[in-house]
Amino acid sequence: MAILDIEDLSKTFGTGELAVHALQDIRLSVSAGDLTALLGPSGSGKTTLLLCISLILEPTSGAIVFDGNPIYRNGWTDTDLRRLRREKIGFVFQTPNLIPFLTVRENILFPLELVGITGHKAEARVMELLDYMEIAHRSNYVPAILSGGEQQRVSVARALANRPKLILADEPTAALDTVRGKKVMELLKKIAREHQTAVITVTHDVRMIEGFDHVYHLKDGQLNNASGVI
Amino acid sequence: MDLAIRDIAQHKGKFVATVIGVGLLFAVVLSMNGIYRGFIFEGLSTIQVTSPDLWVVERYRGGPFNEQSTVPEFFHYSIEALDGVEKASPFIFYGVERMIHGNRKRFTIIGYDVFGGLGGPQNLTAGRQIQQAHYEMVAHAKLGFRIGDKIPLGLHSYTVVGLFKNGTAPDGEPLVYLSLPDAQEILYLRDNEEVRNQRERLQQTLTGPGLLTPTQAKKYVSLLDPNIHTVNAQLVNLTPGADPAAVARQIENSLYFSVYSNDQQINLMMQGRLAMPRKQLLLFRIILLIVSVVIISLVIYTFTMEKIRSIAVMKLIGAPNRVIVRLVLEQALLLTTCSYVFGLGVIYNTYQYFPRLVQLTSFDDTVTFLIALAGAIIASSLGIWQALKTQPALALGGH
Repeated sequence: MAILDIEDLSKTFGTGELAVHALQDIRLSVSAGDLTALLGPSGSGKTTLLLCISLILEPTSGAIVFDGNPIYRNGWTDTDLRRLRREKIGFVFQTPNLIPFLTVRENILFPLELVGITGHKAEARVMELLDYMEIAHRSNYVPAILSGGEQQRVSVARALANRPKLILADEPTAALDTVRGKKVMELLKKIAREHQTAVITVTHDVRMIEGFDHVYHLKDGQLNNASGVI
Repeated sequence: MDLAIRDIAQHKGKFVATVIGVGLLFAVVLSMNGIYRGFIFEGLSTIQVTSPDLWVVERYRGGPFNEQSTVPEFFHYSIEALDGVEKASPFIFYGVERMIHGNRKRFTIIGYDVFGGLGGPQNLTAGRQIQQAHYEMVAHAKLGFRIGDKIPLGLHSYTVVGLFKNGTAPDGEPLVYLSLPDAQEILYLRDNEEVRNQRERLQQTLTGPGLLTPTQAKKYVSLLDPNIHTVNAQLVNLTPGADPAAVARQIENSLYFSVYSNDQQINLMMQGRLAMPRKQLLLFRIILLIVSVVIISLVIYTFTMEKIRSIAVMKLIGAPNRVIVRLVLEQALLLTTCSYVFGLGVIYNTYQYFPRLVQLTSFDDTVTFLIALAGAIIASSLGIWQALKTQPALALGGH
């Protein structure tokens, strides 16, 4: 079943002669457990597409259907977007973007508390994720004293906390060396396979997407080569 | 999870330093409140402590504190003879500066009728009232005298027989109470050379135009010494049921003095001598409070802006606005409260070392806290507004 369906999605910045068509008639379908990569040069519209999928940036036209529910159809539907994000979408950023004044444990606990999971249940989930990411020994450290790779693993753990249906990763390996970058990508693949979580990652590094199910190229706001499995 | 507390716990040093800085600012604001109150309290202290029913002063004068006033000493007999007057007694009041046991001391002398007259010291903390016509004094404890000390003033030494803490002159100087004749002698005391010169001038005035022979003149000169039997006011207490306004009118019309009730005397001071410095202090107080609120606002705004990326991440992962509002508002309130409590602690442990009275009141303390709290809420609303308009896209590096 498709987790995400995007139909004829367009985004235009500005109007008239100054209009910039950042996205044009994008069609994309992502199913549970799919590993999808969006490739493209700078300015091709990758981040704009990710922002639209993240329900942060309102498209100009088209439709977004998430888990069978229409979210956008030439305008936002009355869905609580922030609630949808915290319950069904996990985010992994270019830089880990952990909350610096919270410990590793608290960074993972935070999204759980946002959906009302507290106490033993929350602690158990945090410990499960820390073990899964092999960072349990760092649970009471603040992010500043972790390595870049460790921070990114915490970031992935935080994204997984609420068992999301979709993980959006914005160049998750950009700030890491090749070895650590590959480890993070392997982790995302493992998550997709083991948890049936759909993963969409934006990247410009083709070496990092080996084994992905779908690879899309974005150029001048248009999605093509939408079939290739590397 | 309390994000505000977590943030503070991770940045303890910064928080403590900010609390100390803002707290010292609050200490200055609170001290200004106390200085303002103390200034008014001291300005009215002698009037409040003396507290007769009526003050009789020189005609058309707002004396004796707001303006100089001179009235003949013995008019208290005339006043006492009027209907409705129970007691009238002379009162003299002037400031001096003297070297006492090697230390320069400024104080204000009050001379009064020590044998049952009005205007004597109240609420002695040690010793007793003056019981002799001469050479005894009751002094403010602030002067550092002890019971039994001999204090040289003019030609004589005066024994300290009593101490008190309640009462200062309008300019904050401690009071010293003497018997009326002692106070007059000290006030009008001239040195011998001055006495000789004055007598010589008088001798020449009398003999120059040939009015008197030198022998006759010499005989009269000693009798024409200046009159020292003047005082600054007559204090009046009324008989029970007497109408103060009617008695005042009677004194004004028959004896040609000006008469004020105690409340009118207080008003004279508040509208006169104390008015300008009071306004000055009040304005300074307001400016200080505004500066404090602005500084707190900037600190809170800076605290919020430092977290703006984290706030963007929170919004992106779906944190509702109330979580973000609580984070900013709670920190603002914590910072303000901790700083205020620190400032309060500082001023309550130091106010007694100020040279003049710092009168701290719980009313001022509470009002200052509430204003600071309101300022913090307004300030945090600026931070909250900034936080709420932060785009979650900032966490993704913008678009």
